Amino acid sequence: MTIADHISRRKLLIAAGVVGGGLVVGVNLSRDRETNLPDAVVDGALVPSAFLQVRPDSTIHFYVPSREMGQGVWTGLTTLIAEELSTPPERISIDHSPVHKDFVNPEMGIEVTAGSTAMKAFYRPIRQTAANLRELLRKAASIDLDIDLSAVQLTDGKIRALDRDHEFGAFVKRASSIELIQDAPLKAQSEFVYIGKHNARLDALAKATGTAEFGIDVDIPGMRKAVIKRCPVFGGAPTYGNEATVRSMKGVEAIEKLDHGVAVVADTYWNARRAADALKINWEKPFLSHLDTADLTHEMAMALKKKKGKKGEKRGKGARALKRAEKTYAATYHFPYLAHAMMEPLNCAARIENGKCDIWVGIQSNQIARDCAARYSGLPKENVRVHPTFLGGGFGRRAYIDNVAETVQLAAATGLPVQVMWSREDDIQHDYYRPASVVKTTAGVNESGEISAWLAERAGANIRPYLTDLVIDAVTAGAVPLSVADWASKRLYGVFENIVVDPTSTEGLVEDYDFPNMEVRHVSVDAGQAVGFWRSVGHSSNAFAKETLVDEIAIDLGIDPVDMRLRNAQKNPRLKAVVELAAAKSGWRRPPPAGRYRGFAVHNTYGTRVAQVAEISVEDGLISVRRVICAVDCGVVVNPDIVRAQMESGIIFGITAALYGKIDFDNGAVVQSNFHDYPVLRINESPEIEVHLIESDDEPSGVGEPGLPPIAPAIANAVFAATGERLRTLPLEIRG
Amino acid sequence: MINFILNGDPVSVEDADDTPLLWIVRDHFKLKGSKFGCGAGLCGACSMLVNGASARTCILPVSAVEGAAVTTIEGLGTPDNLHPVQKAWVEANVPQCGYCQPGQIISASALLKENPDPTDDEIDVAMSGNICRCGTYKRIKQAIKDAAASITVHARSEPESSNDGRL
Repeated sequence: MTIADHISRRKLLIAAGVVGGGLVVGVNLSRDRETNLPDAVVDGALVPSAFLQVRPDSTIHFYVPSREMGQGVWTGLTTLIAEELSTPPERISIDHSPVHKDFVNPEMGIEVTAGSTAMKAFYRPIRQTAANLRELLRKAASIDLDIDLSAVQLTDGKIRALDRDHEFGAFVKRASSIELIQDAPLKAQSEFVYIGKHNARLDALAKATGTAEFGIDVDIPGMRKAVIKRCPVFGGAPTYGNEATVRSMKGVEAIEKLDHGVAVVADTYWNARRAADALKINWEKPFLSHLDTADLTHEMAMALKKKKGKKGEKRGKGARALKRAEKTYAATYHFPYLAHAMMEPLNCAARIENGKCDIWVGIQSNQIARDCAARYSGLPKENVRVHPTFLGGGFGRRAYIDNVAETVQLAAATGLPVQVMWSREDDIQHDYYRPASVVKTTAGVNESGEISAWLAERAGANIRPYLTDLVIDAVTAGAVPLSVADWASKRLYGVFENIVVDPTSTEGLVEDYDFPNMEVRHVSVDAGQAVGFWRSVGHSSNAFAKETLVDEIAIDLGIDPVDMRLRNAQKNPRLKAVVELAAAKSGWRRPPPAGRYRGFAVHNTYGTRVAQVAEISVEDGLISVRRVICAVDCGVVVNPDIVRAQMESGIIFGITAALYGKIDFDNGAVVQSNFHDYPVLRINESPEIEVHLIESDDEPSGVGEPGLPPIAPAIANAVFAATGERLRTLPLEIRG
Repeated sequence: MINFILNGDPVSVEDADDTPLLWIVRDHFKLKGSKFGCGAGLCGACSMLVNGASARTCILPVSAVEGAAVTTIEGLGTPDNLHPVQKAWVEANVPQCGYCQPGQIISASALLKENPDPTDDEIDVAMSGNICRCGTYKRIKQAIKDAAASITVHARSEPESSNDGRL
């Protein structure tokens, strides 16, 4: 028997989010008196579930179970509550949910905000808990007013009975004393007042006035600031340096050696920063000191040619069907490492005293943050409290807990309440990068453009082992010895290299078109550099390898690129519909304005279908994206303007990656360091964007990520239209 | 000792040396609306008005604002008394993660004070120092135009107004 059997590998995989999509756990919508509810339950409040409270003063409090990092989830999920409670969204007080088992994301099996899952996961449970509350309040009112239930309705945030309006608070006492309602009917889509109509972001006022609290803004009494001088190469450790000299610098209170660097703790950020800049550290040369981008690219390309790898998905006869095709096309694409560069650099504050650990952080999973803090403080999980904040951007980077681990370690070692602040250089040079990869797509086609066979092959590192390595260490704290946890997490690298294909490595390569025969092959090439979830994950590169080859085939066969896509989406009416909408709205069938060139792409990311037309101009070999027309089908649209904003957001993020994004390694160290050499799109470079929404009654899917994948191939296809040059390496560079 | 005006109040700091204004405002005066983004004057998250111009305070030593008037996002307007630019920002649903927005709003208010009716190109020039990773640029442009229109209308109809139409 292996150790993995002892500790139930499946359970760990679920906990670590390795087993994603398809895993659906129930959401507890009943009041659970055995566990602590949100911290701020006030006396006399009606608490129908962990999500909601109605206080005697008639205020309604919603504990939003997903983290707000810009994607609009505060507004989106509150709109659902508003709908079923017939109460204007602005009337509902929103709080970040604390750690509690009832806030588990039912799509992921743990509390985490990732994978554009929040709306998809909570669309029904959140409405159900609000509908249950609505029916409970009606019942309580009918008892107290001694009238028939049918004479009591909720409208506009009030309880209307016998032509009179009553505040919710009037019936809180009665409602608390009667049995909870579990299965209240949900409103029909035709009755919606807020879903599909409410647009105003509920966090806009706080964010426009500087009053929204981010992790970096947390200020607790006596809190010190810390800056960590990090080993330039991932995995390296400090040996010795001039700590003693720096210890005497102004404001410095402690210097601690950590596994990956040396921390300076001082009274203010600036004193910590200055002292850290004065540190001269010698590093133990880590294994990764050999990493060089050019070598890695070569290694991945060779591995794709020479190594067998693992077979992934397959349909029909798979790649064998290529032999029977009238024509075949193949192309190989190169993708770089990418950093997230969210505007708020990572940070975390921690205080350990009297056997309790408090942490303040904006992070994509409070639960994993708590477990991590428990491990590094040595305290039981129930003695750790997470104080959540808004996230100044996440994009996948804040799914990681390295900032929590180092902060809690430092607080434990120094006995001081401390906030660790990352610099922009730390952020760019110590990321969990979007993995570099080499992808080859091969298509077998007949003369009318029907793709009969499709082979997609990728070489590169896998993301999931790096997450599970961190997470397993954290969640198993106290449950198994650390050595066992380490052993188990290291085995996961092997799992993805030898047993299964990490779905995040190959997602987006084969799902979209009819492809009667298709096959995926994956060769793991892992240099050992940490890689991670980056907005739209595998789709961020794989959509490019699919959508540029399809374009190339269309043009070679003399078929319009839009017609080519429609012809191969006969079995996917939703994909077809966004292609048709984007084509119609962009005037695709008419020539573009003089000096402009168009390219098309479509992609399904986590269930949301997005088609985009990029209109570009090229001057002196430089690409400018002038206008983007976007069509999106995300099922039921909850907040139309937030869906539009997320498409705009994904497009801008994707243009940055298409035109500029590149992280290089030289002797294991990241070459880029700040916005001067890792540029991101600025307002003067940003295009006009039009977003068109498909009306739908399908279950909603997410919008935080799906706007991104089509834009890079749409731009590259436009570059071909402009120059006749096929660009297959990102970032896009016209060589002429 | 360095003396300056912070959001209308005279203040002084001692022993601050070369500390950038951003950290004096955030850590000493505890005004957290102005953000740290790059530490190199490249992203604009730390923007404050210094004598009416948008300045990158992460690289501006506090000694450089001796005698100057400094306005942070908190001094521009409050949730109960919004500056016209903030009002336009809320109405255009500009913020996403929101982290860069105080800096964006500061730069926009400096632009409109200089140029009450900017063209697209003038907006691009004035705002290109402020990065938004969420890509709210299209809405920033719209909000600046909306604010410009509301200020112009307001100025015409209520020339005596001391607050809402102020810049």
